[in-house]
Amino acid sequence: MNRFIRNSVAGLLSSTMITGAAFAAGTHPETGEALADDQTFTYRILDEHSSVDPQVVEDVSGAEIVRDLFEGLMNQDEDGNLVPGVATGYTVDDSKKVYTFTLRDNAKWSNGDPVTAGDFVFAWKRAVDPALSSPYAWFMELMSIENASAIIAGEKPVDDLGVKAIDDTTLEVTLSAPLPYFPQMTTHSTTFPAPQKVIAEFGDEWTKPGNIVSNGAYVLTEHLPQERSVRERNEMYWDNDNTIIDKVVALVINDENVALTRYLAGELDRTEVPAGQFPRLQEEHPDEAISFPRLCNYYYTFNVSDSGPEEFKDPKVRQALSLAVDRDIITKNIKAGGEPPAYTFVPEATAGFTVPVVEMASMSQAERDELAKELLAEAGFGADNPLTFSMVYNTSEAHKKVAVALSQMWKQKLGANVELANMEWKVFLEERGNQNFDLARGAWCGDYNEASTFLDLLQSDSGYNDGKYNNARVDELLAEAKTSDDPAPLYTEVERIIAQETPVIPIYHYAGVYMMDSDVGNWPVKNVEQNWYSKNLYKIAE
Amino acid sequence: MLAYVIRRVLTAIPTILLLIVACFFLMHYAPGGPFTSERTLPPQVLANIEARYGLDQPLWKQLWDYLYNIVVHFDFGPSFKFKDRDVNDIIAQGFPISLTYGSLSFLVATVVGIGLGIAAAIRHNSWIDYFAVGLGIAAQALPNFIMGPILILTFTLWLGWLPGGGWNGGQWPYLIMPVIALATSYMGSIARITRSSMLEVLNSNFIRTARAKGLPTRTVIWRHAMKPTLLPVVSYLGPVFVYVLTGSVFVDIYFSTGGLGQAYVGSALSRDYAVLLGVTILYGVLTVLVNLLTDLAYAWFDPKIRY
Repeated sequence: MNRFIRNSVAGLLSSTMITGAAFAAGTHPETGEALADDQTFTYRILDEHSSVDPQVVEDVSGAEIVRDLFEGLMNQDEDGNLVPGVATGYTVDDSKKVYTFTLRDNAKWSNGDPVTAGDFVFAWKRAVDPALSSPYAWFMELMSIENASAIIAGEKPVDDLGVKAIDDTTLEVTLSAPLPYFPQMTTHSTTFPAPQKVIAEFGDEWTKPGNIVSNGAYVLTEHLPQERSVRERNEMYWDNDNTIIDKVVALVINDENVALTRYLAGELDRTEVPAGQFPRLQEEHPDEAISFPRLCNYYYTFNVSDSGPEEFKDPKVRQALSLAVDRDIITKNIKAGGEPPAYTFVPEATAGFTVPVVEMASMSQAERDELAKELLAEAGFGADNPLTFSMVYNTSEAHKKVAVALSQMWKQKLGANVELANMEWKVFLEERGNQNFDLARGAWCGDYNEASTFLDLLQSDSGYNDGKYNNARVDELLAEAKTSDDPAPLYTEVERIIAQETPVIPIYHYAGVYMMDSDVGNWPVKNVEQNWYSKNLYKIAE
Repeated sequence: MLAYVIRRVLTAIPTILLLIVACFFLMHYAPGGPFTSERTLPPQVLANIEARYGLDQPLWKQLWDYLYNIVVHFDFGPSFKFKDRDVNDIIAQGFPISLTYGSLSFLVATVVGIGLGIAAAIRHNSWIDYFAVGLGIAAQALPNFIMGPILILTFTLWLGWLPGGGWNGGQWPYLIMPVIALATSYMGSIARITRSSMLEVLNSNFIRTARAKGLPTRTVIWRHAMKPTLLPVVSYLGPVFVYVLTGSVFVDIYFSTGGLGQAYVGSALSRDYAVLLGVTILYGVLTVLVNLLTDLAYAWFDPKIRY
């Protein structure tokens, strides 16, 4: 007991001294900016997070919390580049199927235990274990880890997973096929380590504050479901000396306008800007309203399956509808948050993606409209035989505005009769998934920063291909890209085919549109996936 | 009286069972399921999840297991959406919050509403009457989803007096706006019902007799007019009590209180079956209980009623 106290006191003293030493002057060690006394970052989240268990979490706000609590093999820097996390680096063998990660020997869990390769092996096996039945088990399949699919299907035991701890600081991963972007995927929360002893001790209760032990820069200290969660500095974190933010508070505020009001009243450091309000806020608060590209797209997909309308089987009709969409009206007048208009499926911000020269992008809207009319006439539709179809979207004010604008453009320019239908989210997903639609809204955010996370949606056997677009050449190119050293030209070609055949109408690419307190330093606006780490932020003294 | 209570409790059991069964089947036949998501799960992953939660069993078996776990273990099952928590957890955390701001709103609505209504009736056609009627109508015309934003804009953004939301263990600054937002429209209705009821009572024969006896107005009002006046008010208060206790989704959304109303609506939208059922059962039990209490209260207010 005495020894325990002595150790704890010593630990406390040393950590205080270190913190004191680094920020005694109250200035940022690199930029020299004066730091605020209170290093608390408070931000709004839309909805309660699904979990803080790294292998179980499935929502964005949960993943943000998990990224602070746990640290995986690799991290991302402010620009989205790969930087060391628990691993200091990795090597890959000639077959490009065996990766060996070297783990730092000073990484610790918040209870002082060392973080070992065994913790990663435990976590990765846990992720595919049918007993845990993680909704993100598929991520391990996507990573092509050997036997992941067979284990999920219950055909092989969990211990057959292609991951091995050679010793405490060496982790070996075997893939079933080479995967060029595999290292990038180790920044995803599903791959973070899990504390075996703690999970064994507390079972389902292990993620509760007080029970939870984590290896990231923060520990979860408070959680009031549907209200707030608080994470505080983990003194055991290996890079604790360089962490400046002491405390991060996530407040659940369902209504975005209330969140904005509370931001303006000074209760929050960050919140989302409701659609259409960005120009006004930028004028009133030029230092605080920010907009930057995100790795997400917004599109409408044609149902080209047997249950879809005959009209949409003709590429000319699809192209005509896409051409007639004035994307500038939607991005400038409806969204108004700095979203880039989309003429390709993959956002321009995607790493290593060269936007192909799509004819439509270089035309003026008048030229597009002209061509759209011609194409539609060629397809046999006109004033005496108007194109008639229905479009569905999930119930939301913002989606409704876009849908109404689209239907008006088609009505005015092409004389098309469009019937609008909105559905509650789950009904919408069910109907779209069963091809019970003509034209349906879609949106996708990249799981990783690579074009395939988007283009795979158009692969004929993809579970996400709700329009059932089927092109053998596209499938071939995407399969080839999986193992290619330089997939960029392949992706460009896929985009060219898509532009010609138009199975989808890309409308715009998302922007992160925030109100961000000007005191917040180092927000990673260039990280298009918005994988942010509180440990890299700081609060500047006012 | 005791026999009546026992009889009522016994008839409540099949009522609640019927509620569970109806809700269970409606929920399962709604399109989409708890694991329908934009990122369609691969069939194997989905199968593992469904096996874990017993959703691969036939519906009757699921219903039986559900009832069995409630009766034997008092376990209302896991949440499919909030994977770190189960239904018992969610109710244990959210219900006390709803209970706190709900009972305070009820108290405010009842006391102020009845007070206004009586004042208006006694001073019929005076400025107090017009004021009370005006206030009552205004309050009723301002539902809580209008009151919420107005309050936040006024007290948080312009005046900066109150925090714009949150709960913080139910400290009073966090309670004021949710309570006002929830109480106003009920207050308006209660004032209106009390006023018209009191006016009717004041015109009845027994009050005229009391006045004729030379009783002071105070005694006439309090001893003779009060009880019959409150009879229709009480029948209105019963359902209102259940409603405010079980939380208001608008209050939860606008003030981020963490109450049960949000969990209820959220679980319906996300098809979180066990949470939806659990909260429905709680609401059902409360409704039955409060109806019983209301009926018993009638006997006290009106001696003509006997059980």
